[in-house]
Amino acid sequence: MDETVAEFIKRTILKIPMTKMMTVLKAWDFLSENQLQTVNFRKRKESLAQDLVLLCEENGVSLNDAALLDIIYTQFHRHQRVWDLFQMAKEPGEDIDLSDMEQFKSSFKKILQRALKNVTVTFRDTEENAVWIRIAWGTQYRKPNQYKPAYVMYYSQTPYAFISFSQLRSNTPLLCQALTIASKHHQIVKMDLRSRYLDSLKAIVFKQYNQNFETHNSATHLQERRLGLDINMDSRIIHENRIEKDRVHRVTQEIFGDYSQPRLEFAQYKLETKFKSDLNGGILAEREEPLRCLVKFSSPHLLEALKSLASAGIADAPLSPLLTCIPSKGMNYFKIKDK
Amino acid sequence: TARTLVPGLSVLAHLEKLETQVNRSRKKLEEPQGAQAVESSLGTKIRDKLRSEVKQRQARVAVRDTSVEPDQTLEISEQKAWERKRENVKAILQAYRFTGLSGKLTSRGVCVCIHTAFEGTLLDSYFVDLVIQKPLRIHHHSIPAFIPLEEISAKYLQTNIQHFLFSLCEYLNAYAGRKYQADQLQRDFAAFLAGPLQRNSLCNVLSFTYKVELRGQAFTFCARLLYKDLTVTLPTDVTVTHQGMDTLPTSWEEQRASHENLFCTKALHKVFASFTQREKLDMSLVH
Repeated sequence: MDETVAEFIKRTILKIPMTKMMTVLKAWDFLSENQLQTVNFRKRKESLAQDLVLLCEENGVSLNDAALLDIIYTQFHRHQRVWDLFQMAKEPGEDIDLSDMEQFKSSFKKILQRALKNVTVTFRDTEENAVWIRIAWGTQYRKPNQYKPAYVMYYSQTPYAFISFSQLRSNTPLLCQALTIASKHHQIVKMDLRSRYLDSLKAIVFKQYNQNFETHNSATHLQERRLGLDINMDSRIIHENRIEKDRVHRVTQEIFGDYSQPRLEFAQYKLETKFKSDLNGGILAEREEPLRCLVKFSSPHLLEALKSLASAGIADAPLSPLLTCIPSKGMNYFKIKDK
Repeated sequence: TARTLVPGLSVLAHLEKLETQVNRSRKKLEEPQGAQAVESSLGTKIRDKLRSEVKQRQARVAVRDTSVEPDQTLEISEQKAWERKRENVKAILQAYRFTGLSGKLTSRGVCVCIHTAFEGTLLDSYFVDLVIQKPLRIHHHSIPAFIPLEEISAKYLQTNIQHFLFSLCEYLNAYAGRKYQADQLQRDFAAFLAGPLQRNSLCNVLSFTYKVELRGQAFTFCARLLYKDLTVTLPTDVTVTHQGMDTLPTSWEEQRASHENLFCTKALHKVFASFTQREKLDMSLVH
């Protein structure tokens, strides 16, 4: 068996945390139950990895199998990569897409292979008609580098592609082109949305983060919830500013809704605006050119943090629409200029 | 005034009469197929009656609107326009209750629920929360990403909300129907399939390989079903080809051709149900 494949599998196995080892190997489904039972999982990881590689060699493991293991590892650790969002568009009035997943995959692979002699393309289907694509890039003269792959997640018959680039950025245009053509679109544009949390990106772009809909039953629940707020409070505590507190709560509820917010870790605002000041004079006020500055909000869970700002007394309610429009506009990168 | 858009007593009474008719005939008929047939024909009657009623009412309102004095039109406040739009939607929802559309008025507009069904089986429900403003906009929804909601909105949302809801209903019901057929095939007739069922998000391209046994002979066929029209639940294009190196005997060539026809005219799982029945019959004849 190819030494490089063995090395690749070994390095992938070493990345997997022991707590997830069994789950990942079972999902890979390359080693049988019996084979897994012969392995001592209490060994030192280095030694365990060597045992597993030997078993893989027995089964005649190929580069494709190894690449699949890498995909599964990445699927379990998707938040370790940063994901960008791309939106594709068709020509107006175009016929509906009659290609199936197999045609998409074969077309995508052919386009890449025609352009780059050395490239490894691997697919893994998931439920909900989505596919994960792993691409290892090579060049005309060098074999693909298996340690710097790019990943794409794509839901068939939708205009969105989730891409996690490798450090080898020069292949971005080719990747975008292959995606566009294979999915029967004409144009691809990078959206101003990126995050580590792939599932949140999916929720934002497919507008699935708010699944609370008012039906004939829902009105009563809202009433109950309001009463619940009162009952839990200690009767010895008197709120001085009760009306304002209620107003803030109501406004926050209207803007952010009742559901859990999708998870993002930052929002970035590039400002190119002229300085505005109430004070007369000052050097900055006389500047004709716009000031350029970057404001970045970071948080383990940005949207939940923003939601709690007003009730914590740190900001006025309602918050600036620049902050609250993030999920509805599907953006967390903004460029603000004077109108 | 806006209030007259709400269905009047005469229409409601008529609907109630039709409803009791359906309930009575459902109780009478023991066979489920019979009840469904009556229901569907009555349902169609109800739906057509409703459609014509609503069209008549809309025509009457349109005439009334154009005959209003110029001075009065200037005085109609935005609030009244908003109310009128709201009542219009409420009327549409009340009228189309039987066609799977329901809704609830909200503080800013209306939340419409589209219940999908296929041949009597109730399937998933989808929501569209509309904000009644100028322009009318969708606040949030649970429509899957591969349904062309943006296209449908661009065409009808601002000009004809009824058409918008109808069109969306059509797409969703058709998608739900196609998905149901594919799911049923995978669930109940997996024994026939020689490989996994290939499908896409919209379930408008289905490919599968299946084996058929008749009179001791077995052949494998490859079927590809295309639904070029996203509002239909029966394929627009069907190709059934023989899988294998040997040439097909004439009798089997006829089978292949008949299968192509079957897939075009019958629901997917029903076609396979007929295969099962035929095999059973075949077995009973042999033994």
